[in-house]
Amino acid sequence: MTETLVHLAAGLVAALQPLNLGMIVLGLVIGILAGALPGITMVNSIVLVLPFTYLMGIVPSLLLMVGVYCGGVFGGSITGILFNIPGDPMNVPTTWEGYRMSRRGETRYALGLAIMSSAVGGLASALFLAFFAPPFAKFALGFSSVEFFAVVVFGLASVSVLGHSSMTAALISLFAGMFLGTIGTETQYGVERFTFGVPFLRTGVDFVTVLIGLFAIGEVLEQMVLRRPAEPVERPATAVPRLPLLALWPLRGPLARGTAIGIAIGGLAGAGATVSSFVSYGLEKQFSRRPDLFGTGHAPGLVASEASVNGSTGGAMIHLLTLGIPGSAATAVMLGAFLIHGIQPGPLLFTNQTREVYTIIAGMILANVLMIALGFIAALCFATLMKVPAPILNTFIVVFCFLGAFALRNDLADVWLTMLFGVLGFVMRRYGLPVPPLVMGVILGPMAEAYFLTSMVSSGNDLTVFLTRPVSAVVLAASVALVVWPLLRGRRSV
Amino acid sequence: MAPLVGFGLALVLLVGTRGLDAVAREGQLGPGFWPRLVLVGLGVACLLKAVGEWRAGRAPEPAAAPGAIDRARLAMGIALIVLYVLVTPWAGFAVTTVAFIAAFMTLAGARSPVSIGANAVLGTVVLLYAFVKVVYLPLPKGEGGFEALTLLVYRALRIF
Repeated sequence: MTETLVHLAAGLVAALQPLNLGMIVLGLVIGILAGALPGITMVNSIVLVLPFTYLMGIVPSLLLMVGVYCGGVFGGSITGILFNIPGDPMNVPTTWEGYRMSRRGETRYALGLAIMSSAVGGLASALFLAFFAPPFAKFALGFSSVEFFAVVVFGLASVSVLGHSSMTAALISLFAGMFLGTIGTETQYGVERFTFGVPFLRTGVDFVTVLIGLFAIGEVLEQMVLRRPAEPVERPATAVPRLPLLALWPLRGPLARGTAIGIAIGGLAGAGATVSSFVSYGLEKQFSRRPDLFGTGHAPGLVASEASVNGSTGGAMIHLLTLGIPGSAATAVMLGAFLIHGIQPGPLLFTNQTREVYTIIAGMILANVLMIALGFIAALCFATLMKVPAPILNTFIVVFCFLGAFALRNDLADVWLTMLFGVLGFVMRRYGLPVPPLVMGVILGPMAEAYFLTSMVSSGNDLTVFLTRPVSAVVLAASVALVVWPLLRGRRSV
Repeated sequence: MAPLVGFGLALVLLVGTRGLDAVAREGQLGPGFWPRLVLVGLGVACLLKAVGEWRAGRAPEPAAAPGAIDRARLAMGIALIVLYVLVTPWAGFAVTTVAFIAAFMTLAGARSPVSIGANAVLGTVVLLYAFVKVVYLPLPKGEGGFEALTLLVYRALRIF
């Protein structure tokens, strides 16, 4: 412990060097901006900065990427809260609560909560990385596709907490989303599924088109055609975010649970921030004494999902630094940066490159602290857009959706899909079909399929493998409880 | 009625998965397994919904419809969005976006011609500069005369 503290202190001193600090700040700015723009994901932005690191040393390179990583996972929540446009799939649960809070006139509070819970989650995960990385990596390495499948099923099961009126409506939406996720070329056999001869469908339906269309375009249409607003939209007198340090104390439960889930799921190689945000949101609703308030702009839901998203960053880094195995797409790019500089991450990294490793970990701690200030400034800039009259704002949201969808593959087909999902989102809202389960289905469905089929291949099609492995059995039992419990309590109609 | 349509659609798609498993290796699940599982789930959920509505003896209430909508404006809004995507490859992003912003803002309730014109022109210029010059996004330039016009705009903006 003392040795770790000494290394961490030395790492902190190194990370505070002007060049290193500058890289963290630059990375955070790039990450927050990229995360906030739909269509430009956090992973894309890390890939984009990779070429700029060729001429740098390993530490500034990694600190730049760490900054982009930490800023990128948070950035998408700003536009989600303000405009109902989550920048990344991982920001979807934050959007469900944050946008409702914003509509109620609590924009400043929602933004402040998002900034603070992201910072706390990220900070806790960086400290966990510093002190517990090697033993946790050994434990997590024992997990296989069977456990991953169980975790994803748990995320899907949380759909039972998403449909606010009818369980069957939520299930229809979820299965429709999972079906959309099966469109395209199947990865194991290379067979085309449901492409109907349309060339651009061969690569599947990109979930970003679904995300942008359902949330942003659907919302614009809804606002534009309502003869009178569904609920009064209260604009705050000032859009300056409030940093609710004291207000976080009553929310310490969701904050701690979200952070813990983020670290745990982030630490499972391949699971990542998106799964952790859905799982923590679902669990939080189960823990809540007022589950009926979720989806109406309830702070605990926002805090839990935001803390888990940033909490997953440290978890994902554990695999990279201790085993040389990237725990997420973002850390896979970082592995590339290590290799470019001739360093092989793995068990010997903590012994041979102690100073570099602890500088990177200290950089993560600094990045999460600096994110409070930079997130505040970014939120302030975006929040001023709230003062723009609705006709102008809605028009530019449509244009940004066009650009975001086109940027995915430089293909107008993605724009068509986005607009199509926009109309679908509007229709779903009008007919009482909840939109969030469909989004979950598109994102988590393909993951569930991949893990399930891998488990089947490795176990010789033995379905009992999901029940004979203890972690999988417990998580699957919890998934069943998640669905059955609300029904038994009689809160929900079938 | 709508849940039954969903059920029918799931059934049709389920039939469509029949040929998918032809490539599957002996003793392994084929590429049709997962979609079949999903479509069965979708069909059952639709059926449950239909039965629930039938038992309740009423049509599905538009519970999520929070207020009356302006159908004409909705139709025009969707038509404008469709036209925007349809015309862009032919007229180019620059020209189409200026026209779209002006038309959509008017439809959304903007009345000041100065505001509409300024937003349409300046907004497009800023977007072109940011996305073509800075991000290198190859936005459609259009065909024929429109391509020439787009290139003229790019040169004026020093994008090229």
